[in-house]
Amino acid sequence: MRDVYAVGIGITTFARLEYPLVEIAAYPGLMALRDSGLKKVDHLYVANMGGGRVNHQTGLASAVVDNLSLTPAGAETIENGPASGASAIKQGYMAVASGMHETVMVVGAERMREVNNLEATDFVATLTHPHAEYIYGITLPSLAGMFTRLYMEKYGVTSRHLAMVAVKNHANAMFNEFAHLHQPITIEGILDSPEAATNNPMVADPLRFFDCCPVSDGGACVILATAEIAKKPDKPIIKLAGIGQATDTHAIHDRQEPTDLLAVREAARKCFEMAGIKPKDVDVAELHDAFTILEIVESEEAGFFKKGQGHISLEKGETKLGGKLPINPSGGLKARGHPVGATGVAQAYEIVTQLRGDAGQRQVKDAKIGFTCNFGGFGNNVVCLTFTRES
Amino acid sequence: MELNIYAYKCKRCGHVQYPYRTLCRNCKENDHNKFDIVPLSKKGKLVTFTHLYTLPADYETVKLTLGIVALEDGNKITGQLNIKEPKIGMQVMGKVEVVRKELYEKRLGMVFYEV
Repeated sequence: MRDVYAVGIGITTFARLEYPLVEIAAYPGLMALRDSGLKKVDHLYVANMGGGRVNHQTGLASAVVDNLSLTPAGAETIENGPASGASAIKQGYMAVASGMHETVMVVGAERMREVNNLEATDFVATLTHPHAEYIYGITLPSLAGMFTRLYMEKYGVTSRHLAMVAVKNHANAMFNEFAHLHQPITIEGILDSPEAATNNPMVADPLRFFDCCPVSDGGACVILATAEIAKKPDKPIIKLAGIGQATDTHAIHDRQEPTDLLAVREAARKCFEMAGIKPKDVDVAELHDAFTILEIVESEEAGFFKKGQGHISLEKGETKLGGKLPINPSGGLKARGHPVGATGVAQAYEIVTQLRGDAGQRQVKDAKIGFTCNFGGFGNNVVCLTFTRES
Repeated sequence: MELNIYAYKCKRCGHVQYPYRTLCRNCKENDHNKFDIVPLSKKGKLVTFTHLYTLPADYETVKLTLGIVALEDGNKITGQLNIKEPKIGMQVMGKVEVVRKELYEKRLGMVFYEV
């Protein structure tokens, strides 16, 4: 297997976008082509979860490859729930590493705001077990709510810790022009003041409104290629050094210890092993904070902090910009937004930007190794990536 | 007739699984017709719960209380709670009732009450 490099990146604004899903996918692809200096690619992978259901658009990759006038390049749509993005990057990696292709464009795109919030939530809830969960009215926020309550009871995490994640990520997103939410928030406004109950109502007790990511439209792209192609552009060389994936039971109640996210633990371990690094070597991480609790727990399961200690490190400011390990400098899913199929690619976009030193006011100083965790279902399919700067 | 929720007991190793899987999680037995259907116990202890305020479209109530219960027979189940102030660790008793009314169909599932 040969080494694989990220040679071009692109992204749309994450927000409510009033143009078709195909163009939400094509636009970041165009940006990434320009960024890489390439005129064409050998293959295209498009990560998307709801095109067929929400946007009445199946066969998305075929539509995108034509929209970008890249035919007759091969193209496939990858659906792996909210982990579709990182899964598509993994497919792209394998295509280049195996020698089958020289250049692969990986796009992630989703348009969830075409339907109302009820339909969007129900669309995501189709991830849950149809007979053992979905029929009870279980949605992703309710799974996260049950998980959070148990985590609080067991490890002493409080609503204040959760609010700290939200405040940090909203602050980071202020420096990200592509982020969905440009809205600075304070602990006082969402927790302590008399208005907090109105500002920040309960969604899935103990999770409140500001503990949940917004429903976003958006797209992102990373072009992967061989070493020869990576050396051409006048940019730092960024290697896709590690990939790890793991799965867990479909129904959450089936897990022996409901507060463990074993798929994150295993995916991160494999990813670090492949990259030949340790969690302590990581300079910047993008974690899948669809709910604030997840940033804390993933930071533990990935091995950055001990189990049950993630909220202590958060309290000390270690995960802020300028801290020991900045987490979610982009604003994370919480504030950059979460167009489900695009998220894994958007995380990779942020890490490549950071490692190139192009992140402006949210730049993590001297970032050389970056990590992403893309979390599918409620932890039943997790894909982690490690990128390193070569020069 | 008393309604039940059923689990699947492997004919080879005796492992009980809920929900259904085509292969036994314990012994990976892959013969045909390899499960006995056994009713799940209805008594158990509340593991965790949430009050959900953003409800799916099929519900007309203000909130839905959902939880995971560790049953006496060693299995765990997700269900609805008809309990005003649930507490982790409390004893609960389940009943099979309508848990979701869809357009043409009523779905049955486990609803737990305080003992």
